[in-house]
Amino acid sequence: MMKLFRSVGDWLDDRAGVRKLIHESLYEPIPGGARWRYVWGSTLVMAFMTQLITGIFLWMAYSPSTQTAWESVFYIQYEMNGGWLLRGIHHFMAQAMVVLLAIHFLQVVWDGAYRAPRELNFILGLVLMLIVLGLALTGYLLPWDQKGYWATSVGTNLASQTPAVGPEVKKLAIGGSEYGHQTLTRFFALHAGVLPGALMAFLVLHIALFRRHGLHARKPDPAKDAMFWPDQVLKDSIAALAVLTVVLLLTIYFGGAELTAPADPANPYDAARPEWYFLFLFQFLKWFPGELEVWGAFIIPGLIMTVLFLMPWIGRTRTGHLINIAMLCVLLGGAAALTAQAIHEDYFAAWNSKEEILKAGDPVQEARYEASERFLNAKEEAHREAERVIELAESPMRIPPAGALSLMYDDPLLQGPKLFAQNCASCHNYVDPTKPVEEQPHAIVNAEPTAPNLFGVGSEAWALGILNAEKIVSKHYFGYPGSPFVDGDMVTYVMEAVGPDVDDEQRAKAKEAFAKIAETLEAEAALPTAPKTNQERQNRIAEGRELMTGGLADMLEGGMSCTDCHKFHDEGDLGLAPDLTGYMSREWLLAFVRNPAGERFYGDNNDRMPAFGPHDNPQLNQLDDKSLGLIVDWLRGDWVRVSEPVEKFDEAP
Amino acid sequence: MSNTPDQPPPSLVKIPGRESDNRRSFFAITAAVVTGSIAVLTPIGVGIAAFLTPLFRKSKSPEVRIALLDQVPDDGMPRYFPVVADREDAWTRYPAQRVGAVYLVRKPGKEKPTAFTAKCPHAGCFIGYTPGSKVFQCPCHTSAFNLDGSRVNGDAEVAPRGMDTLPVSIRQAKTGDGNSIAEVWVEFIDFQTGHKEKIPTA
Repeated sequence: MMKLFRSVGDWLDDRAGVRKLIHESLYEPIPGGARWRYVWGSTLVMAFMTQLITGIFLWMAYSPSTQTAWESVFYIQYEMNGGWLLRGIHHFMAQAMVVLLAIHFLQVVWDGAYRAPRELNFILGLVLMLIVLGLALTGYLLPWDQKGYWATSVGTNLASQTPAVGPEVKKLAIGGSEYGHQTLTRFFALHAGVLPGALMAFLVLHIALFRRHGLHARKPDPAKDAMFWPDQVLKDSIAALAVLTVVLLLTIYFGGAELTAPADPANPYDAARPEWYFLFLFQFLKWFPGELEVWGAFIIPGLIMTVLFLMPWIGRTRTGHLINIAMLCVLLGGAAALTAQAIHEDYFAAWNSKEEILKAGDPVQEARYEASERFLNAKEEAHREAERVIELAESPMRIPPAGALSLMYDDPLLQGPKLFAQNCASCHNYVDPTKPVEEQPHAIVNAEPTAPNLFGVGSEAWALGILNAEKIVSKHYFGYPGSPFVDGDMVTYVMEAVGPDVDDEQRAKAKEAFAKIAETLEAEAALPTAPKTNQERQNRIAEGRELMTGGLADMLEGGMSCTDCHKFHDEGDLGLAPDLTGYMSREWLLAFVRNPAGERFYGDNNDRMPAFGPHDNPQLNQLDDKSLGLIVDWLRGDWVRVSEPVEKFDEAP
Repeated sequence: MSNTPDQPPPSLVKIPGRESDNRRSFFAITAAVVTGSIAVLTPIGVGIAAFLTPLFRKSKSPEVRIALLDQVPDDGMPRYFPVVADREDAWTRYPAQRVGAVYLVRKPGKEKPTAFTAKCPHAGCFIGYTPGSKVFQCPCHTSAFNLDGSRVNGDAEVAPRGMDTLPVSIRQAKTGDGNSIAEVWVEFIDFQTGHKEKIPTA
């Protein structure tokens, strides 16, 4: 066997000179012997190789366009075997590279390894650092999710402020005036082609010069001189494995890299922040208001980079070397302080009590708390959106050809609350009054509502609330400020049936009748959240129908049933009170929101509720059919449920 | 590879039967340089030309119907509206897309609202507004703007200018029953960020 290996080795050596190559790469003299402090350069090379390998495999599944980028990353993350691990390693190793770079850089400066004749190599190292940061910046956009989109948008907008050529630079970078397909193709070309190619070229030069000048050892001990192989290689390998272990642990801990909702240029993402290693720059900009920004964005960073490039010449004397070290410590310390400040500002609301801040009465602190609260809410909202769109993408419906954004636009659960907040929340609120607001992520709270609370409309519990003497006069139904209904016929009717003046026996009978009517009304609404109908329930619903169309009149002292005011199927007339046929069904609600003053609904009794879609031409309406449908479907709890059980509106007002 | 002092560099080595320093070799060198350069530079030039395409493309700011005038009460409170317009992204045309957002503010007694683009003039983040609040706020670098779009802290604000206003026009449309209805139209211009002046990007 050995003979065979030797023959193959000889054959290769004759043709390619491999023995000399191997000898040259492995038998590098190390003055003073192998040391742990020399591992950082090698770990960086290992990290880059990891990025190259994982990047190539990611490339095989990635598709850069606005309709496929998020979708292909979703596929990698949630569908491919170990895709999350592959993406996670790539993501966290990129961060590890930044840390390793900082350590390597610090060590080179600390050891004075930039001095003659190694100046050129130091400069190559700085160029490599800039390329690595460029890779990080370009990679952030590629998933085309909200986080990457808005963070990169800030970055490229800042680049557009480059004196003289800024707008053109931005236009070339993003491939036009707006972000889109061309932005992705360009960023991808930079991330997977231009920058890695440049990095490899500069890395070869960097290593070649390193081999030419040899390792710069501090206080070498001649007695311990050794070769690169095997001692240093072993130390480098252990360090590389340690770095990989940390990266793997982070990947497993976080379940891979985050993927937020698909990028939506029309929807704000209030939690847009760059990656943590650029956070200091983000914070730094806050120190330069208005037109001074050019100092924060270009002049000062430019000057700092120039000084870094000049370090080998500044450090030629001992004093200069100490200045370099001090300068680097100040820079790294400053970056760390700015990063901490940025994090502190963002999480201020999580770490402080609102009551105490308000009590102190300091407007600056209050504003800080408010901004932080917005950031944290936006972050939470972004997580919810991402979870929902991923759930939809994983459902049997899959992602349509129009892309995942259309999944979001068509989903009542995602769009309903937004449309409700824009169009309905100035009067109505949507909140479960039986639970603290903090426990209701979807609550839309109007502190002073001027119309009924629409949480759980159409459910049995909601109908029971209307038929309850206390609840009907609360702000959640007809007791809101300025309500004309609080003294209206319906409230009077309920009071006469189950109010405080009614004797207990009569009240109990009426309540039992109202319970059946509530079930009947829920059946009319046909909510997807309603319980399954069994024979017993069907009987109660049938009894409820009879009560509504006459039975109540025989039971209650007032001698009136629902159909004396309302229409219900073939009984009663339109024009006095809302038609209860199909009450709160999708069709009923759509028609109602389109025109609440119609004969079928409130007619002349309509209380300020605008008509959101009265015209045949949708262009002339306040809400188009799709938006109307999304609001109605959301109110009725009618959206695609994939994994969760259907929740019942069992605790309505 | 280094040359020892007693060996001439390769370029000065005489090749038997050939003059190294005559007119023919000058032309050969020139021709080699020119043809080689053309061969190498042609694909580079073509590539650069393609790469520079975006600089030669002009986009037009769309005029967009934003809302009915009735939807903007004259109470001075900003109302948020998405901007829906056709969008062309390289090779794809997307009809009726949400391309951005504006805030419409109508002061008491005024017929025409003011339109502010929701894009922050500092770094392009999406400016937020909480109903009832007295300021617009940008979530990124905490710029704050008054309801008239001016900067709350003037020149001490991170944003270099106030919120960008957009040209607004009121157009009349006919409903099915022949009545007239007023619509708010806006020219949705995208402005460069980071400058004191409003400079369109297109």
